[in-house]
Amino acid sequence: MSGITLQNITKRFKTETAVDDVSLSIQDGEFVVILGASGSGKTTILRIIAGLEVQTTGHVFIGDVLVDDYEPRDRNIAMVFQSYALYPHLSAYDNIAFGLRVRRIPREDDPDRDRHLTHQEIDGKVRGVSQMLGIAEMLQKRPSELSGGQRQRVALARAIVRDPEAFLLDEPLSNLDAKIRSNARIELKRLHQRLRQTFVFVTHDQTEAMTLGDRLAIVNHGRLLQCDTPERTLSHPLNQFVASFVGSPEMVFLEGNVESTGGGFTFVKGPVRIPVRGTGSPGAVTIGLRPWDIRVEKASTPGTLSGRVTGVERLGSSDQLFLDVASPPGASPTTPAAPVSLRALVRAYDFDVGDGVFVGFDPDRALFFNAEGGRLESMSISSPLP
Amino acid sequence: MKPRRRRRWTRWAKRIASHVVLIIACIFAVFPIYFIVVTSLSTLPIAGITAHVLLPNPSQLTLSSYNTVLLHESPSYLSLLENSLIFSGSAAAIGLLLAAFTGFALSKFNFPGRRTFVYFILLISLFPSVVMIIPFYLMFAKLGLIDSYIGLIIPYSAGAVVFSGILVKNYMDSIPDDIEEAALIDGMSRTEAFFRVMIPLCLPVLGLAAFLAFMGPYTDYAYAHVFLTSSDKWTLALGLYNINSSDTGTQNYGLVTSFAIVMSLPIVAFYMVFQRYIIGGLTLGAVRG
Ligand SMILES: Nc1ncnc2c1ncn2[C@@H]1O[C@H](COP(=O)(O)OP(=O)(O)OP(=O)(O)O)[C@@H](O)[C@H]1O
Ligand SMILES: [Mg+2]
Repeated sequence: MSGITLQNITKRFKTETAVDDVSLSIQDGEFVVILGASGSGKTTILRIIAGLEVQTTGHVFIGDVLVDDYEPRDRNIAMVFQSYALYPHLSAYDNIAFGLRVRRIPREDDPDRDRHLTHQEIDGKVRGVSQMLGIAEMLQKRPSELSGGQRQRVALARAIVRDPEAFLLDEPLSNLDAKIRSNARIELKRLHQRLRQTFVFVTHDQTEAMTLGDRLAIVNHGRLLQCDTPERTLSHPLNQFVASFVGSPEMVFLEGNVESTGGGFTFVKGPVRIPVRGTGSPGAVTIGLRPWDIRVEKASTPGTLSGRVTGVERLGSSDQLFLDVASPPGASPTTPAAPVSLRALVRAYDFDVGDGVFVGFDPDRALFFNAEGGRLESMSISSPLP
Repeated sequence: MKPRRRRRWTRWAKRIASHVVLIIACIFAVFPIYFIVVTSLSTLPIAGITAHVLLPNPSQLTLSSYNTVLLHESPSYLSLLENSLIFSGSAAAIGLLLAAFTGFALSKFNFPGRRTFVYFILLISLFPSVVMIIPFYLMFAKLGLIDSYIGLIIPYSAGAVVFSGILVKNYMDSIPDDIEEAALIDGMSRTEAFFRVMIPLCLPVLGLAAFLAFMGPYTDYAYAHVFLTSSDKWTLALGLYNINSSDTGTQNYGLVTSFAIVMSLPIVAFYMVFQRYIIGGLTLGAVRG
């Protein structure tokens, strides 16, 4: 087992750039999730690590070994394909044993020569892994006779049995229905904790990414935007794309303008006015707020805006409220403007559509982005809301 | 009460109609075979055969034609059969191996001019093979390959490659790339992946291709007639023609039909052995295994 290092990897297909200058260092035994929308180049990155695709420029290291010129079989990497790619003509047992049968290991008596694994050795490994994954009873079945969840386990078993340097998993859970999926997620996490092997896991599902990854590598249009722990990507996104891509429900964005007002600056969006500091000049700015950082109260307290509930999405343990926020209570807006829409996550069944509410938020939690989506680290809310 | 009876009626009508159609189709399919079998068991001249076929007279049934065909013809049936099996077997084996490689390359490798090559092969297969006899003959005459085994095996195999190559390509197109890639990841070279994964997956289409590659040379008359001059290399098809046009003047239908029957027996045997794969290959489009 080893870590994996990508050094300035770029992959171009004819005209389009699928992977754009990606550098990523994955530690030995780490579980890294590559998260991105469809077509962002996740699969291509995995295939380059596996050697199924050759990068246009850049280098791949497995452990300390530069493997650019290595065939897939010489990289000793296991991969679970999105489609599982089980051999349809072989039983589950043979699917798992297949790689072991072609494998050669050094001979005990003469290390310069090699030999195939014996039948007993192969059988022992296959049964061991099958037991671990709970598929020992279905080893004689063909892939077509297995359920989606069972196929996924066979594909995992086929990867584990080879004891590879690292595991590459391309959306292995996306073909499962929601219920088995969350189970499979937990099992996969346990498996990693048990094997302590390097895992590179590709998904477009941010919940999956959050629960599984030691670190998330967020890609968009072939670029690596950020690689950080799940907590850091949530609390310190480097740009607006990452901020909107991780976290569920999605972050609320207020696109407004910063105006200079008598010595200071104020963020203005419709009837909402928020004093801010840290900017050099007026201009377009977006404030991002997590829905769970937005407080909704029935009574007015200092620093809240008055609003109305326009919709409720019942998520089970909590509700997502859709709110229209108007001016702060008491203040009379000089120009009546369209209300601002927000979303907030609150305890289930506390509010209903049409309720008049008061909305506040912790000024320290607000994130600022410029018009290009870059994070404005220096900006913050300067004083409590009026 | 009434509607139900009417429904039952229409069901019956449908059943009867479909049976009538099937029986007629069956007669069309089976009658020629019946005709040949009964004719082969008689020694009657052509004039008497029709009546005999419609109402066979058991006392006139005899195996004497078979006796003549199998034991008293020259060249002997066994020699003809041996030659046919050599030609058809070699063409099927060589053609199949090459077709498997061709199909694999055309389906799974990316090389410049691949599409052009596919269209080129399709174009070739549109020509009836007979039009190529003359060029082949001239070419092989120069090479001294006329009247030799190898000289006929080459065009037979080439024909099989053209046809079966496309067949195999189309089948391999339906096998997802990631199955082969899984084999590469599992530690195989591309060659190993080809023989250990792709070939086993393609068995249905390879069975069909083998059958067709075998049938072509087995029933070919045109090439064999032009290329083979000495009778010790004759195939069954030439033998059949020889009996048909023997210089006794009157054609002996008993001999011809009994020859046709013993000639078709190896094909029937071949079919029965590979039936599972051939039927799989023929129904590829409908159900993918
Ligand atoms: N073999 C190829 N030839 C040409 N373009 C390709 C090839 N493979 C991928 N691409 C392109 O590269 C881009 C990235 O593809 P990739 O499959 O890596 O995306 P992905 O993030 O895995 O998407 P998904 O979530 O849908 O699987 C896509 O725009 C795709 O069209
Ligand atoms: Mg993908």
